[in-house]
Amino acid sequence: MTDSVFVSVAPLLVVSLGGILLMLTEVFAKRRPDAGPSSDLALGSFVVLAMGAVVALALWFVGPDKLTGAEAAAPYLIVDRFTLFFEFVLCLGGGLACLMAGGYLPEHRLDRGEYYPLLIFSTLGAMILVSAGDLLSLFIGLETMSLGVYAMVGFRRGSMRSTEAAVKYFLLGSFASALLLYGGAMIYGVTGKTDLAGIGAVITEASKAAGAAEAATASFNWGMLLLAMVLVIAGLAFKVSAVPFHMWTPDAYEGAPTPTTSYMAVAVKSAALAMLLRVIISAFGDETSMSWGTGWPPIIALLAVLTMTVSNLVAGQQESVKRMLAYSSIAHTGYVLVAVVALMNDQSDAQGSIMFYLLTYTVSTAGAFGALIYCGSRGKEAVSYEDLAGIGKRHPIAALAFSLFLLSLAGVPPTAGFFGKLYIVRSSIGAGLNLLAVLLLLNSVLAAYYYLRVMVYMYMREPSPGAPIAVPMRSGYVTTALVISAVAVVVLGLWPDTSLSMAIDAALATR
Amino acid sequence: MSLSTLGSLGPAVAAAVIAAMIPRQAKTKHRIGLGAVAFMLVGAIAWLWPDGSEVATQADSDEWPYLLDVLIGLPLAGGIIAMFVPRQMMSLMRGFTYFIFAATFIASLFLLATPMTVGWHHQHIVPWIESAGIRWHVAVDGISLWLVVLTTFTTPIALFSSLGSVKTRVKELCIAFLLLEAAMIGAFVALDMFLFYVFWELMLVPMFLMIGIWGGADKIKAAVKLFIFTMSGSVLMLAAIIYMVWTNHQLTGHWSFDYLDLAQLLLPGQLGTLGPAAMCFWAFSIAFFIKVPMFPVHTWLPDAHVQAPTGGSVVLAAVMLKFGTYGYLRFSMGLFPGQAALFASRLGAVAIVGGILYGALCAWKQNDVKRLVAYSSVAHLGFVMLGLFGATPSGVSGAVLQMINHGIATGALFMLVGVIYDRRHTREVSEFGGLAKVMPVYATLFIIVTMASIGVPGTNGFVGEFMIIAGTYVSERLNQFSAIEAFGAAFGVILAAVYMLSVVQKMFFGPLTNDKNKKLSDISVRECVALSPLIIAIFVLGLFPNLVLKPMEPSVNAFIGQYRKGFELNKAMPNLQAARRLPKDMFYDGFLKGAPEFEPKDDDETDATEVAAAGGDR
Repeated sequence: MTDSVFVSVAPLLVVSLGGILLMLTEVFAKRRPDAGPSSDLALGSFVVLAMGAVVALALWFVGPDKLTGAEAAAPYLIVDRFTLFFEFVLCLGGGLACLMAGGYLPEHRLDRGEYYPLLIFSTLGAMILVSAGDLLSLFIGLETMSLGVYAMVGFRRGSMRSTEAAVKYFLLGSFASALLLYGGAMIYGVTGKTDLAGIGAVITEASKAAGAAEAATASFNWGMLLLAMVLVIAGLAFKVSAVPFHMWTPDAYEGAPTPTTSYMAVAVKSAALAMLLRVIISAFGDETSMSWGTGWPPIIALLAVLTMTVSNLVAGQQESVKRMLAYSSIAHTGYVLVAVVALMNDQSDAQGSIMFYLLTYTVSTAGAFGALIYCGSRGKEAVSYEDLAGIGKRHPIAALAFSLFLLSLAGVPPTAGFFGKLYIVRSSIGAGLNLLAVLLLLNSVLAAYYYLRVMVYMYMREPSPGAPIAVPMRSGYVTTALVISAVAVVVLGLWPDTSLSMAIDAALATR
Repeated sequence: MSLSTLGSLGPAVAAAVIAAMIPRQAKTKHRIGLGAVAFMLVGAIAWLWPDGSEVATQADSDEWPYLLDVLIGLPLAGGIIAMFVPRQMMSLMRGFTYFIFAATFIASLFLLATPMTVGWHHQHIVPWIESAGIRWHVAVDGISLWLVVLTTFTTPIALFSSLGSVKTRVKELCIAFLLLEAAMIGAFVALDMFLFYVFWELMLVPMFLMIGIWGGADKIKAAVKLFIFTMSGSVLMLAAIIYMVWTNHQLTGHWSFDYLDLAQLLLPGQLGTLGPAAMCFWAFSIAFFIKVPMFPVHTWLPDAHVQAPTGGSVVLAAVMLKFGTYGYLRFSMGLFPGQAALFASRLGAVAIVGGILYGALCAWKQNDVKRLVAYSSVAHLGFVMLGLFGATPSGVSGAVLQMINHGIATGALFMLVGVIYDRRHTREVSEFGGLAKVMPVYATLFIIVTMASIGVPGTNGFVGEFMIIAGTYVSERLNQFSAIEAFGAAFGVILAAVYMLSVVQKMFFGPLTNDKNKKLSDISVRECVALSPLIIAIFVLGLFPNLVLKPMEPSVNAFIGQYRKGFELNKAMPNLQAARRLPKDMFYDGFLKGAPEFEPKDDDETDATEVAAAGGDR
């Protein structure tokens, strides 16, 4: 059975078939007049994505090396532990977003059924992206993912901000895709290959030859490859929203409906970082490209420092919690980039720490956005700090959950976020990047300031007289999403062992 | 508990009866409270008397290993259970919290019954996160023992005094206190660096909430300042911990966050240059100096104290500041003896000029009584740090004793300030004057505590300060400056008298000019109940300091011996280019008990293994 290609790509099949089924349901189902499409689609799409996650987990335990049928799809779709790990993370992030949407859309009168298929197909694109081993399938996955998200950002049709966010995101996203495509074309021009492993092999050969004899390098266009590398990295930096390619992020995140924001911050970002990892390790994993003097590490290091510092400084100035969380998600990208630099010396450890970090980041960020959704109701979203004033007194459970996620994002032990940071710092110190590690930690102090500010408003401020008082919504969906994330934050914080060793196993698969 | 222990309950019962009969028009509740306090104190003293009078030489073989788990677990579980108590049931909430605190305190008394020989006691090790080498490793020695008892002793008092004045959100206050106590005890007994860090960060959250929710007018700024200051230090410490763990991993091939394992690591770096060893030492020390707080990173303290509610101030002063001094003693001196000894004389000068003298002068100029007490904390903890820098047996014992003394005296002072603040809602010295005429009992108590704070013989403050100054004078670590430094410290004692007595004079004596003060009621029975344990402790420790000093003597001596050896060893290796493991005979007997055991990486001796330092070979 395991030699069928359909088993190897089962998570993709489950999600795509489920998505099609839900789309048909949306069209043909008869509902009571008072029930919107969210009443069945939210749960349905959560189940579809959860099934995707379960199938990925099952394949993990079967062992990808037993899946002989996977060869048929290679190199367009690679099925290894790396893929399965990220498929799980993406399905988790997408599933949580579905649950949030189930509460959010009806509450804010956006209840239209197309949201859920969009989200599912976008997740499908993200899953293709993380399993892609070829520039072509990589691009298809990327565009499938992005197109869904563009529509989801602009989902609040009547709102100027939402439309502006969608247009901004669409234009800059297309620009980034173009950069990526152009870089990919140049790589093809230099190496004659489109699959990442093949590209990596050609570059390794060439760099070995460069060491052996000067003459052999004449036929190999290093200059063009370097340009291609810079283009690809710039395109990827747009997608992961690293400073200075981050300008679209706060506007897009703020204008989008909050479940979309959560989905972008969690799933889109994880997928983009997975793509970054795959490209860097498979294609640019040779010694020349990996060395500090001649390759990408200094570029990524600069991006990492800029990303962390700028976004943390700006995040502290925000008056909107949603915008603050947008900047905070940029800052987290910076932390991950530190570990990407560490790849050059300490590969499996650094990569494992990145993957574990993305898992912890997924549950903490989804939880934080979920809590923000939970705090606003009846068409009135909680967006600014003022809206959250006094929640701690009136709705202690909501405030407690929000605080838990914020503390996890800030990296206070013993939450999941702390272990994520700990492993990243450990791997970067292990790679000899002591200065970057210290910068990361000092940045997390800056970050603590704005996370604390939310807690300050929730627990220590009262709403100013006459101000509208936020009333948390009553939604089983959002509550479920919060409970899932909270349990994950606590469990990953107290017993990170299993998931970390899974992440390291996954990292070993790409070597 | 043997029969002789039961026999000694006689005086305790007598004390309880007497105490219960003292107040004239008190409710039964208060009488029972007073009686219980007297009973417990006299009982405790009687109980630990025989153990205190002689140095224990034989370890108790059947120590109960779960005692420390119970001490941490009780308040932690209590805090979690308390979250599910309905907020309307205030009396249940209070009763439950008091019950948990009483149980924890009684459990901590079992620590005192343990003969404190050299080495770790009640050690309990459970693997936690095995892939990273993180273990649940808790133990006490003669030093941390007292800090644990101080925690379990003062936290309930702080809560009791808080509940007198705080009427809003009682449930949250109780939860915060319970979690805070669990985290504080945990940090004092953790011997795994990771576990220590977890508790160290964890206690910040309840304190942050305590100041931010129940604090004064400018509470949010103070709370955020506290959090950010402490966190900046602790992330540096985290970086150093991870660096050490990683270097240790390179050297031995195993991951371990254990303090006992990392203490065997000697980081590269010549003494006096800014190598990895010096960087790690400073990363740790800055984290602790912020917590102490030492000049120039003390600025968060006055704000935090002034804004904090009374109970928060008491816990902050009595226990939380001790993490700075305790951390420096246990970790900075324990892990980096060479660096700590090298910088001792300069740091000693900072402690005297920036802490003792500058703190005292600042205190003198304050108009707000609470701010004055906060600055006096800076001065008192300067003494403690000086004792640690001096690293003589008398200096270190004095420092540990002074940590407890400061906890008791300053805690009491904050409670007394809280009493007058509850009545007048101001703490300006100029608002008062002649209070001794309207509040005689209050004035008496205030003066007793002031004497303890100044260090008048017969009170606890005297013993600690005297031992520290004596230790400073003979210290070899402080080089040729030891005499000058001892003189500076002694001058600080005089300044303490100046600022404390001048405020007493302004507040309590002279004419009663302010009309608002004429109708003030004297201290209530409830406040007396809260203060009495501290007042009793002042005299008990002042008259019988050996109760505390004897049990810690073996630990302190062993620790100082090891510290000296570590320094000599480090000095003998001036050109250390690579990290290495220290020989096992450098440590005192029993220090390494419970250290993780691993197969050596290669076939050669562990202590001879050397690898290149981080970045050295890249």
